[in-house]
Amino acid sequence: MVQSFMYQYDAIDQQLVEERVAQFRDQTRRYLNNELKEEEFLPLRLQNGLYVQRYAPMLRIAIPYGMVSSKQLKVLADITRRYDRGYGHFSTRQNLQLNWPKLEDVPDILEELAKVEMHAVQTSGNCIRNTTTDQYSGVIADEVADPRPYCELIRQWSTFHPEFAFLPRKFKIAVCATDSADRAATQVHDIGLHLKKNDAGEIGFKVIVGGGLGRTPMIGETISEFTPREDLLTYLDAIIRVYNQHGRRDNKYKARIKILVKALGIEEFRKRVDAEWAHLRGSESTVPMSEFDRLASFFTEPTYESLEEQPEVLTNKLAESNGFARWYERNTFDHKKPGYRIVTLSLKKPGQAPGDATADQMERAADLADQFSYGELRVSHEQNLVLADVRQDKLIELWEAAKENGFATPTLGLLTDMICCPGGDYCALANAKSIPIADQIQDTFDNLDYLYDIGEVDLNISGCMNACGHHHVGNIGILGVDKKGAEFYQVSLGGASGHDASIGKILGPSFAQEQVGDVIKKVIDVYVDTRTEEERFIDTFRRIGIKPFKEAVYAKAN
Amino acid sequence: MPKLIKNGEIVDNTYVWQQDAESAITENAIVPMQKWLDNRDNIGTVAGIWIDAGEGIEPLEGVDLSQFKVIGVHFPSFMDGRGFSYARLLRERLHYKGEIRALGNFMADQQGYLIRCGVDSFQFAEDVNLDIALTLNKPFSVAYQGDVSDPRPVFLRRT
Repeated sequence: MVQSFMYQYDAIDQQLVEERVAQFRDQTRRYLNNELKEEEFLPLRLQNGLYVQRYAPMLRIAIPYGMVSSKQLKVLADITRRYDRGYGHFSTRQNLQLNWPKLEDVPDILEELAKVEMHAVQTSGNCIRNTTTDQYSGVIADEVADPRPYCELIRQWSTFHPEFAFLPRKFKIAVCATDSADRAATQVHDIGLHLKKNDAGEIGFKVIVGGGLGRTPMIGETISEFTPREDLLTYLDAIIRVYNQHGRRDNKYKARIKILVKALGIEEFRKRVDAEWAHLRGSESTVPMSEFDRLASFFTEPTYESLEEQPEVLTNKLAESNGFARWYERNTFDHKKPGYRIVTLSLKKPGQAPGDATADQMERAADLADQFSYGELRVSHEQNLVLADVRQDKLIELWEAAKENGFATPTLGLLTDMICCPGGDYCALANAKSIPIADQIQDTFDNLDYLYDIGEVDLNISGCMNACGHHHVGNIGILGVDKKGAEFYQVSLGGASGHDASIGKILGPSFAQEQVGDVIKKVIDVYVDTRTEEERFIDTFRRIGIKPFKEAVYAKAN
Repeated sequence: MPKLIKNGEIVDNTYVWQQDAESAITENAIVPMQKWLDNRDNIGTVAGIWIDAGEGIEPLEGVDLSQFKVIGVHFPSFMDGRGFSYARLLRERLHYKGEIRALGNFMADQQGYLIRCGVDSFQFAEDVNLDIALTLNKPFSVAYQGDVSDPRPVFLRRT
């Protein structure tokens, strides 16, 4: 038997997903028989990840906290081939979206997923969504503790939570376990959890509440500096119970918890949560040590070899191959064990929609995981795939294989490693297309030397105010807007999603589609001309403000 | 006699849900919570009260709830989940032991969660087929979270 380093379902977990499939199969049957009204079926299908989109339904499959085995990924590939058009879209919240399934096939798809311990539960709807975390969990040196056992705890607690399935609006939780970087954008989530150790060495969470994007972007506020881990579930219950009762339900654009927190003020909100928590703290939902141990036991370390850091074969290749050196610099990351690297398989190949992967690519990625990384992968917030445990002496071989399969675009963290929603090409909500904008930016910045010289820039594209592409927190954000029936694009600058999270500022009037590449070029020129040696784009922006960018972009047009 | 689902059976509905605060009060009436609170000294015996979405359970703190045979929780829309918290708080916070009845615009497919929150009777809209609704009341045979019928989360029940 292949050893696993992920959570494994027991009989209870398996029974729940199977009963869910049976329930949804019956709901779909009743809907198709006109026994369930359209508006009644709506929340039921959404809680199984099924939207009705522009051209076809869209099914969002959960990849809980980003962990997927090679076996699961192969099943996903197979599903995209049999029930869809042979590709899928990895989203910013560690889900996989299928754009062309048939409504009547969805119960069968869910049944296929359940066979490999997967589901689409609560990937949409006004409920607690898939919990997300750092794609480097468990393999980086500086994390407080591995966040994945806690994510699984939250997954189970939130799955079919009887009280919180009809909240005022969707509810997203993200977990971060390092002080050095927040790769899960926790501060723009309804609840952001930061794993911490207190002075006594006990594990708990700093709890941030009321972040969010959409129409009213907000950075979350700290509600608790330290909640002991055993109290996590009762504390979450308290927060969401206050929200469920007092969040606005009269206007969907004001229904997120961020609006309630803002309206009450963090002090008053905290007071209410504490009053609720006083009743819940210490109840049966207090998590015993045995459960933490049980959950942690799934996320064990592979038996790492004793390896040399930077073996000669690697050093030599880095010296002789500029292409390899670039890929190594951008697309691999420090591993906690000497002689290993974390490798990102980029899904940002020019000409392919950001985050999209074909069935063939999914299968090849699964093979690469089997060959190089203990048969396990992660999906990142930046819409890439990650192999977490690659031997440094195998990197050259992996790089060659990644190149062959379109995974080696060496631009991780650079301007063209864009986050992008499916946009108006697929999504019924979108005001404008996003993929052609991504293409245009890929074309404008197709010179790798130039891209490297520009350095780290987060560029995010959303096709509408729902902000699935997180444009507010892109260093450069692009938002599709509708202007009298035409597609226009608003540009914002200065957003960030990490520990230094900030909301971008709007540059000025929006642009026609064909202007966008040129506008971004002008923005980048200002940065390149103004930066000091050490500054990233965001640092320069924070130093000089928006004015010089505004002047440069709008000068010639006037 | 109108029917409803109670404790997993289709039974006669012997109470009258008074949606209108102006209606005359009878012994089998389920009256608006605020109306009862405002007139409790001279309102006489009623079957129970009902809580509207937005009212919360706080006004009932300190009230002897054992005098009510039934407390209704009103769902203005099946998308409005406040009643789930109210039912649960009636059971777990106010220790109400009588019948909790779902009223208004809820769905048969919500029964499973509602039961876990402490609701034990369902007064559906007239066009709902109760025989079909009854088959939908227990979609899951296990649960991750503690609830009103068993406060132990799954981690206290796994063997």
